[in-house]
Amino acid sequence: MNASFTLPGTQTTPTITADWDLGLLQMSGDSYPENSFDFFTSTLDWVESYLRQENRPLRLELRLVYMNTSSVKVMMDIFDLLEEAHREGRDVGVDWFFDSRNERVELLAEEFREDCTFPFRISAET
Amino acid sequence: MLDIDFLDLRELLHNHHILLCFNGPISRSLIEEIGLALKNYLDAEHTHPGAAMDVFGAYVEMTQNIRHYAIRKGYGESESAATILVASDGQGGYLIQAGNVIEAEDAAPLLERIAHLAAMDSVELKRAYKEQLRRPITPGASSGAGLGLIDIARKSRCPLSATQRPLGGGKAFFSLRAIL
Repeated sequence: MNASFTLPGTQTTPTITADWDLGLLQMSGDSYPENSFDFFTSTLDWVESYLRQENRPLRLELRLVYMNTSSVKVMMDIFDLLEEAHREGRDVGVDWFFDSRNERVELLAEEFREDCTFPFRISAET
Repeated sequence: MLDIDFLDLRELLHNHHILLCFNGPISRSLIEEIGLALKNYLDAEHTHPGAAMDVFGAYVEMTQNIRHYAIRKGYGESESAATILVASDGQGGYLIQAGNVIEAEDAAPLLERIAHLAAMDSVELKRAYKEQLRRPITPGASSGAGLGLIDIARKSRCPLSATQRPLGGGKAFFSLRAIL
């Protein structure tokens, strides 16, 4: 898979835009599908393929809000791929934007960041 | 024919600040619809966005755990039913309780696991959460990440509590209660 794709969001799944040419993966909205592992398979595969086939930077731009625990687990798997690439000297990074009224999202992002050594910025949006 | 005094029922629900009460078979879409109603109630009560997200999260984890369990056990519609209750204490606190039929032999280990979580402080819960997050899961298995109960325990303001009652026929009724 070396193409761009867009998954429109639903009540329980985020909007996902993967742009191969820009090296940019964007996810926004709530994420609590009953089977997160199935839902995120294409996204996980895309990240893996991009990191394997390209040498260019990869950016994740996240505006995720509520995540159920299985979505958290899959997101950790995605961050692990980035971590591995970072250790091999690749330019990868995450920008996580959250609504300043909801500090729970900031805490969620901070807990992910604790396990990552690549650039991981968390910023409030009003 | 059953004759319930509906005003009594209404007052019972009202006096206990019960926002939501459901009993019956739960499908994926029903969980989503009830979840949406819960979100709207919390919004209408002007619950702080972070607190509303925690209550909603506890509801999602409890109901998805019930669904995963029923699917794993190959339960039919009547066995994959759930009893769900969300109540407000009127002072910003919420009670979320969910019950379901389980195999009798699963009751003791489940209660033990919850008692174990209930005895942990926030540092221990965080460590347990991160350890579980790192545990590999079986691909293709209809299950969550095993994080749901720890997540609810972390968000709760009081230790989790759970009960089980034998139903006969090798089944038991399990219920979990969280206060957020």
